[in-house]
Amino acid sequence: MFVYEKKLQYPVKIKTPNPKLASVIISQYGGPDGELGASLRYLSQRYAMPYPELKALLTDIGTEELGHLEMVGTIVHQLTRNLTEEQIRTAGFDTYFVDHTTGVYPQFASGYPWSASTMQSTGDVIADLTEDLAAEQKARVTYDNILRLSDDPDVSDVIRFLREREIVHFQRFGEAIRLAKERMDQKNIYLTNPAFDGPKPKQ
Amino acid sequence: MYPDKEPIKPTPPETGLCPDGCGTLPECAPLAVPFVPFQQTSPKRYNQTDALNNGTLFPGLNLPFHMKKDAANVSGGPLGELQALEFVLLELGLYLDTHQADEEAFALFQQYAALEKAGREKYESLYGPLFQSATAGQKAFSTWIKNPWPWDLMEGGKQ
Repeated sequence: MFVYEKKLQYPVKIKTPNPKLASVIISQYGGPDGELGASLRYLSQRYAMPYPELKALLTDIGTEELGHLEMVGTIVHQLTRNLTEEQIRTAGFDTYFVDHTTGVYPQFASGYPWSASTMQSTGDVIADLTEDLAAEQKARVTYDNILRLSDDPDVSDVIRFLREREIVHFQRFGEAIRLAKERMDQKNIYLTNPAFDGPKPKQ
Repeated sequence: MYPDKEPIKPTPPETGLCPDGCGTLPECAPLAVPFVPFQQTSPKRYNQTDALNNGTLFPGLNLPFHMKKDAANVSGGPLGELQALEFVLLELGLYLDTHQADEEAFALFQQYAALEKAGREKYESLYGPLFQSATAGQKAFSTWIKNPWPWDLMEGGKQ
């Protein structure tokens, strides 16, 4: 189960509203490579993972991603606090405002709602872990691009932190593939899917 | 666009260890499998504040983007101190998931877990509960409800 801890992983203290910036950062809340998809991807992949150290890793990274989802939601909320009449008309934010006012909704920057079609849970050890490597890189690029678009140091500090976490997670998933490989057929790791066939092929 | 880096030197034979930003790969590796180097045991570490400021406990993994190279400077304060302790614990936990045999890292995990527990209890006694269950130690349940929520919170519990 999960227990809520009433604090953020890293402080988010944004002083200046900026609806335009919020309308692109929302993509890391519910976009194609955002934190909602990351957390659901890893927490869903756990069930088919046959190896205990990798059940642990998917649980621990998936849980951290939920904390990142809360941080990104906080950024969007703080960037859209106390908006003026003029600010709600900001190009790019007005189309969000009309549907959601200043509520936080999981969507791509383009407005497309969060979709499970952006993630996979294949039930195959190597395929899932390789997807996870790609997912961390895609999230890293999105944070790179947010850093290009942000001119608020209060925001960029937090984005820098979140971006660095993607790199650490990439490292751990890479190590996870090596650990998985050691437990598989040494001559041909594709001989079976240990999550379905067991270590030896089903007859 | 990316900063030029010194070329990585080969493994120094006297120690058998790679430079800190490098890890280990098998000499002969099977085809058609992705390989990420294993982080070596006993990697260099930041202190807890620098770890939170950089987003990693490990200098060897700190690989920033050119638009924002400098580390943040998270202002201390009671909440920031607790966040730093908890962050080290989380980072060591992920490291240990893939390095179960590193006893030194586990000893460090135990030390930070004790510091984090003491820090949390002190924080909760001064500023209110972080877990709903910790509200039992408060004067009234309203501390869970009325104390600022994290998205409203500013440093030091001010809104």
